Amino acid sequence: MSEYNNEQLSALVDGEYEGNNDKAFEQLIHSQEMKNTWSRYHLIGDCLREQLPEKISVQLSSRISKALLDEPTVLAPQKTKQFNLKPLAGFAIAASVAMAAVFTVQQSNETNSISTVPALTASTSTAIPQTQTFSFPDAQVLPASVKKSDTPKEVANQRLNNYLMNHNEYRSNGSMNGILPYVRLVTIESQE
Amino acid sequence: MRSQLLFLVSLLLGGMPAVCVADSLPEPHVLIDEMSTASRSLNYDGVFVYTLGKQIDTMRIIHKAGNGYSYERLISLTGHAREVIRDKDQVRCYFPENKAVVVEKSRLGKLISTYLPNPIKSISDFYIFEIVGEDRIAGLDAWIINIRPIDKYRYGYQLWIDKNSRLLLKSELKNQLGVTLEQIMFTQLNVLDDIDDTLLEPSTAADGFTWYKNSPDESLNTNESEKQWKVTWMPAGFSMSEQSKEPMLTSQMPVDHLVYSDGLAMVSIYVEKLNQRPEMIVGASNFGGVNTYAVFAGEYQITAVGEVPKSTVKLMADSVKSYH
Repeated sequence: MSEYNNEQLSALVDGEYEGNNDKAFEQLIHSQEMKNTWSRYHLIGDCLREQLPEKISVQLSSRISKALLDEPTVLAPQKTKQFNLKPLAGFAIAASVAMAAVFTVQQSNETNSISTVPALTASTSTAIPQTQTFSFPDAQVLPASVKKSDTPKEVANQRLNNYLMNHNEYRSNGSMNGILPYVRLVTIESQE
Repeated sequence: MRSQLLFLVSLLLGGMPAVCVADSLPEPHVLIDEMSTASRSLNYDGVFVYTLGKQIDTMRIIHKAGNGYSYERLISLTGHAREVIRDKDQVRCYFPENKAVVVEKSRLGKLISTYLPNPIKSISDFYIFEIVGEDRIAGLDAWIINIRPIDKYRYGYQLWIDKNSRLLLKSELKNQLGVTLEQIMFTQLNVLDDIDDTLLEPSTAADGFTWYKNSPDESLNTNESEKQWKVTWMPAGFSMSEQSKEPMLTSQMPVDHLVYSDGLAMVSIYVEKLNQRPEMIVGASNFGGVNTYAVFAGEYQITAVGEVPKSTVKLMADSVKSYH
């Protein structure tokens, strides 16, 4: 329990742990105290969800462990790779937009069918904004800082950003607290 | 004498307080309905703290009610001076560090009558509502309401509601173990008779900013031959509340968007055809209480996004099927 506090362990139990899972499990299996806490948390969880069976054998896990000691070692298959995305640096939000603008331009040049691409409109204004529809911007117009994300992975990240923003806007109406989704948006960057 | 005293004591302990409690303790569903109404119909200006993991931020919110619409301005007081301004038509997000403004369509006006499931009692099959105590937040007396899900597929909430104005003073999103995932708490909140319109203007001088606008194009919605999608597994009590095609800034084609809700929790399913591969994020990611899960189905990417546990978005994303 030296390196993991109960809260982290709880997050792990809940599948919400944000650190390196493998490392956490490694520590878990080497600490009896953590193992005890681990099973206690699961018990609490089951209890809260009212999913406890009528009879619980607290000795079950130790009996299984003992039985496993006699088993031959089996190599576990490689885990499917997961991108544990720390969503969306604030930078990324703007970047996603700029990215889209650039992308759209390229796309429209290729296909010559501007009407079929999403109607993204961007404008750089020196006066107060009118968010007017305006021709596709050329890349030079975009702030330098938002241009550097061109890799496929960045594109994928930005797609997820957009999903989150879109979901937020729906969410903000169905929610008991309409502003919370925007609170996330405003703080999103410090998650880097 | 002694028995008389006992009788008196038992009356005081047993009878009287029961009457008092019944009188003063509001029904949780009623309280939540009143909170929902108050948050839309009152004018207020407050400062709150938002906590996510180890991260703490402070923000100011100004809310003005009028003509059936709400006007809101959210200002970050820590870090970058970001602002979000919502009116009945649009949401403007100012990112001064990027010299950018992102404009989204506001759904505030359109859906205002369905702000909360009406009546909220209809979701009682899936959540247990309880008033669990009293507290003091931002100098105001509050009721504490606990909302506990009946299964592991949704999160719980704890809400602190001002006894006087019925405004939300504090809220916590909790996982199944009762661990708080994210939290909002007001440190100051003033209910006002009126809000000056100048308070709803952005303080950001957007000179030289780039404006990004996502405007829906009617011509996007006409492709009849496209596949239709549906979710074949969802937790009990969920149903589809909306279905649309969304233009997205990063997508060449409009994205199919299905919205499922149990009245409190909401999950979005996005289905997008990918022309260029590989540009993929498969699997899980999360931000605070929001989990996402993405899978591939042929040339389509399916992504589930929602304020529900990771297992729920995964199961729902995995269950998406197409039909013609």
